[in-house]
Amino acid sequence: MKLEGTFLVAAPRDTVWELLTDPDVLARTLPGCERLSVAGENRYEGVISVGIAAIRSTYTGSVVLDDIRPPESYSLAVDGQGTGGFIKGRGRITLTEQAGQTSMAVSGDAQIGGRIAGVGQRLLDGAAKKTLKDFAAALGEEARKRLEREYRGFRG
Amino acid sequence: MATRPRYVGTRVKRSYARRLIQGLAHYVDDVRLPDTLHAAILRSPHAHARLGAIRTTEAAKAPGVVRVLTGADVTGKIGNVACASALEGLRIPPHPVLAVGKVRYVGEPVAVVVADDPYRAADAVELIDVEYDPLPAVTDPEAAAAAGAPVLHEEYGDNIAYQWNLSGGDIEAAFAAADRVVKSRLVHQRVVPNAMEGRGVLARYFPGEKELTVWTSTQIPHLARSVLAGMLSVPEHKLRVITPEVGGGFGSKLNVYGEEAIVAYLSMLLGRPVKWIERRRENFQATIHGRGQVGEVQMAVKNDGTILGMRYHVIADLGAYHQLLTPAIPTLTGLMQTGPYRIPALDTRVTGVFTNKVATDAYRGAGRPEATYICERAIDLIAHDLGLDPVDVRRRNFPSASEFPFTTATGLQYDTGDYVKALDRAVEIADYRALRAEQREARARGRYLGVGISTYVEICALGPSAAAPPGVGWWESATVRVEPSGKVTVMTGASPHGQGQETSFAQIAADMLGVDLDDVTVIHGDTAIVQYGIGTFGSRATAVGGTAVWKAIEKVLAKATKFAAVLMGVEESSVRFDGGRFTSSTGGDKSATIQEVAGAAYAAKALPADTEPGLSATCFFEPKNFTFPFGAHIVSVEVDAETGAIKILRYVAVDDCGKVINPMLVDGQVQGGIAQGLGQALLEEAIYDEGGQLVTGTFMDYAIPRAIDMPRLELHRTETPTDVNPLGVKGVGEAGTIASSAAIVNAVVDALAPFGVRHLDMPLKAEKIWKAARVRVAAGV
Amino acid sequence: MYAAAFEYHAPSTVNDALALLAQHGGDAKILAGGQSLIPLMKLRLASPPVLIDLGRVTELVGIREEPGALVIGAMTTHHAIEASPLVRSRLPLLSDVAAAIGDLQVRNRGTIGGSLAHADPAADWPAALLALDAEVTAVSRSKRTIPASAFFRDLLTTALEPGEILTSIRVPVPAAGGHAYAKVRQPASGFALVGIAVQLAIEAGKIRSAAVGVTGVAATPYRAAATERQLANRAPDADAIAAAAEHVVDGVEVLSDLRASSEFRSQLARVHAKRAITAASRM
Repeated sequence: MKLEGTFLVAAPRDTVWELLTDPDVLARTLPGCERLSVAGENRYEGVISVGIAAIRSTYTGSVVLDDIRPPESYSLAVDGQGTGGFIKGRGRITLTEQAGQTSMAVSGDAQIGGRIAGVGQRLLDGAAKKTLKDFAAALGEEARKRLEREYRGFRG
Repeated sequence: MATRPRYVGTRVKRSYARRLIQGLAHYVDDVRLPDTLHAAILRSPHAHARLGAIRTTEAAKAPGVVRVLTGADVTGKIGNVACASALEGLRIPPHPVLAVGKVRYVGEPVAVVVADDPYRAADAVELIDVEYDPLPAVTDPEAAAAAGAPVLHEEYGDNIAYQWNLSGGDIEAAFAAADRVVKSRLVHQRVVPNAMEGRGVLARYFPGEKELTVWTSTQIPHLARSVLAGMLSVPEHKLRVITPEVGGGFGSKLNVYGEEAIVAYLSMLLGRPVKWIERRRENFQATIHGRGQVGEVQMAVKNDGTILGMRYHVIADLGAYHQLLTPAIPTLTGLMQTGPYRIPALDTRVTGVFTNKVATDAYRGAGRPEATYICERAIDLIAHDLGLDPVDVRRRNFPSASEFPFTTATGLQYDTGDYVKALDRAVEIADYRALRAEQREARARGRYLGVGISTYVEICALGPSAAAPPGVGWWESATVRVEPSGKVTVMTGASPHGQGQETSFAQIAADMLGVDLDDVTVIHGDTAIVQYGIGTFGSRATAVGGTAVWKAIEKVLAKATKFAAVLMGVEESSVRFDGGRFTSSTGGDKSATIQEVAGAAYAAKALPADTEPGLSATCFFEPKNFTFPFGAHIVSVEVDAETGAIKILRYVAVDDCGKVINPMLVDGQVQGGIAQGLGQALLEEAIYDEGGQLVTGTFMDYAIPRAIDMPRLELHRTETPTDVNPLGVKGVGEAGTIASSAAIVNAVVDALAPFGVRHLDMPLKAEKIWKAARVRVAAGV
Repeated sequence: MYAAAFEYHAPSTVNDALALLAQHGGDAKILAGGQSLIPLMKLRLASPPVLIDLGRVTELVGIREEPGALVIGAMTTHHAIEASPLVRSRLPLLSDVAAAIGDLQVRNRGTIGGSLAHADPAADWPAALLALDAEVTAVSRSKRTIPASAFFRDLLTTALEPGEILTSIRVPVPAAGGHAYAKVRQPASGFALVGIAVQLAIEAGKIRSAAVGVTGVAATPYRAAATERQLANRAPDADAIAAAAEHVVDGVEVLSDLRASSEFRSQLARVHAKRAITAASRM
């Protein structure tokens, strides 16, 4: 299953990069993320509940970052296992400055095995798109809050 | 036998229909024993992976759980799943009942949980933690056959399970002499049999008596018993297999599955009954699939349509492991390669290939729908490429009725047949000329009608035991017992699961013995009650099993005649039997009813010379040949070029299954058979993604025909009895499926001819049709 | 498979249901006809710890007439709507849509409220309710109405807030004209690969205004505004209809799946829009 999407985040690239490499922010913004903690260099472990509305499956697994080029891009490898089966994703996130804002491009593919693979085919693509969209929106919200704090801090 | 049969040949309603409709029948799940434990299976979510640690502690502690077992626990305790095929050079990889070392298809059993109710067992399965180290999977059979593919069974170095070749005549000469070679690539997609009742097993072991009883939804109770006895190291005579009502099999239960052995083993281990009822998702993933062939056909032809020779090179998608007959099915395609045609030269090569999917095996038609499809598509391609009428090409290549028994280039001897007659009949009933005229007229107005023909011959009523797999015969057995009261018990080794032999065998017995239909009971499916039998598959129950009944009754009548002679005080040679009554040509108006004779036989007051008391007989009937039913189906369709929608306008079937015992049952078989062939042609496909996930895993995505999808079927028959058995019966269970896919595809391709379409693979989904029709539209014609 | 264990409640009033919903929060799921939820639960794709069954809340069942509209209780079955003479006389488009849903068994158990709250992208009701400018009433601590145009937010996501129950749907009776529902059934599930609901206001042989609701094509149902604009104040001749139908997938991202690529889906939408509008214009 292909995962593609480009989203505009209302914050400068450096800010977005910081957010994207902050496990606490990721834990808050990744839709369905229940727990995310650092487990080594460029490695996170956690629990994520994937799905839409009532259709959910919980996976325990890891995210490993690779080929990191701050503040531009990194690759990530996601591996999760749960009672519903497994998920495996490989992708790259690329940030481009766009007039003080950031265009975030997500590109990759995911493999889903187990229950939902044999049942939810027609919903998988849509669910993936929605998840990416919601993630980008949450990231945008985090960016806004951070900028506000910085601004207030700046104002003193 | 009565001069005019009272029952045989008439539309007698099934005696057991009422209990099925009223929900009073007993399927495996309806058998309730006290203290039963329930099993649930953990199945692999990976198509190909190394199996690491399996942590079962949490599951074992879960509420209600009694035991959790993995492959390591049953190695050496339960034998591997059996494959009965013995082709030369066949590789049979070990097939453990619970995965060991590797998993090779999504759905492969990895562990089993036993708990006090099925819900808790299902909950506990979720608590088992398995380490998988995923490997690349290969699902496309051509890719699996190619070098560099991920190898499923590493000991072989590649995924080739076998290479089977069949040749006849001089193929080189045939192709050299041809005016033209007509060829096409053909794909038979994998389909899911989807019997209404999934698999199910209940096992009960009595530790004191060391007796094991297994209730299982199977088509082969005696064979299953023999195989399970081997797998469990239980003496065969201490194992009883009972087949309760079976909700459909269609070949998917012509098998012995690992779960049957696992459940039986658990009962032996725990000393309590254990039950496992398959869920529909499991049925999709882990019960055998049907079909799965990709190949190319080449026909060497003269310009007048005469076929000189035929080549078929095919790759068979076997799945990850063999089930009972997995490798054999594509070889049945090879045997029936030449169909109802006089094709003197033949070159068939079948490459059986392992893929990361569940095994394929027998599914209604089992190799013969593929053979018919290849022939019938080829005929239409010949007609198309040479500008001939497809009816004429068929007629030109049929053997005439006087050429029977007809020996094919594949080495088979077709018993009887009149293919021209069946085709002529279908052409007449369908009004073929009018259909073609209608088609021309419609094309002029931008409507696309198509006419498709399928003339088939199929091989069934297995069969001569020499042709069966090693260790197994293909005869069938019957014991007919006239009780002291004159009621009749027929015990058949066949195992009907919807075909209706409880009725049709009763018809045969009632007519032969001159009793009422209700006075006959037919028993099957219990190895403790019924003598060893082979089972129901390959459209054999009536032709082989019914003949066994017939011959057993002949023996009964011979013995009864002796008793009648004594009762009437006449010479045995003067005794006549008709309509349930013995008379004598020399005895005046003396007579004795079969009931009186039965009573006398058991009372044994005056035994005839050299005769034992009682009145029953057993026959094990060994047929000297297969039988070869045949027929012609003609279908007309309309295709909507804008949407790809297909509408079947008329469906005419002329089938010849030899003599007909019960026309209603035969109609039912043909209708059901056509439905499944229609399903393959238009709707069904078991799709695996590149990662080996079965994407069409439920009825949300896997479409099977419903009543509303079925066109009105016009069913007709010709009757050309076989000389293989005294009943003259050939078999009809699979004929509808064998004929129909080709007829429908031929019709749709014919409809799309104005668009330059020559061939389309099944299933004929709307998008495929629409894309094919766009070519011409784009060209502005 | 078997569903995971759950706690089951069957309240008899909306207020009781709301109380239970508030009490259990995110753990609770409403059960209406169960035609979507129960299969999801049996497949363990959804495992809500608490089920609140509205099957005994009789106040949510029924179809009544108001001035200029019909109000349908959320727990009214598809079959009841299909069989209702009142609906057939005032809102025949709804009768046609109801008849096209699933199969007989699904129509006997499934409810309009349950279907809307689940918001399957291939469900049939949304196309018609959008075309008819229906309104949904939702209740929690207070009551509010949500127009259909604002109800379907995203894939399987509606405007309903947690803790809200959809209680009724109000459908205005349209101006005189014609209607049609054209649906291409996904052969396995019976859901709409494409579903086009058309309601035309016709006056003096001309289409005064057109409403075209589309389902199955995008992640959410929508009104084909471009098509509607092209039909407004036009005589319904074949060319006009064909030209308008060409725009039926304008501005939406067309779904692509096992059964239909986005290209084919678009084709089906255009063809069936043309046929539905034609059928509606001939009434």
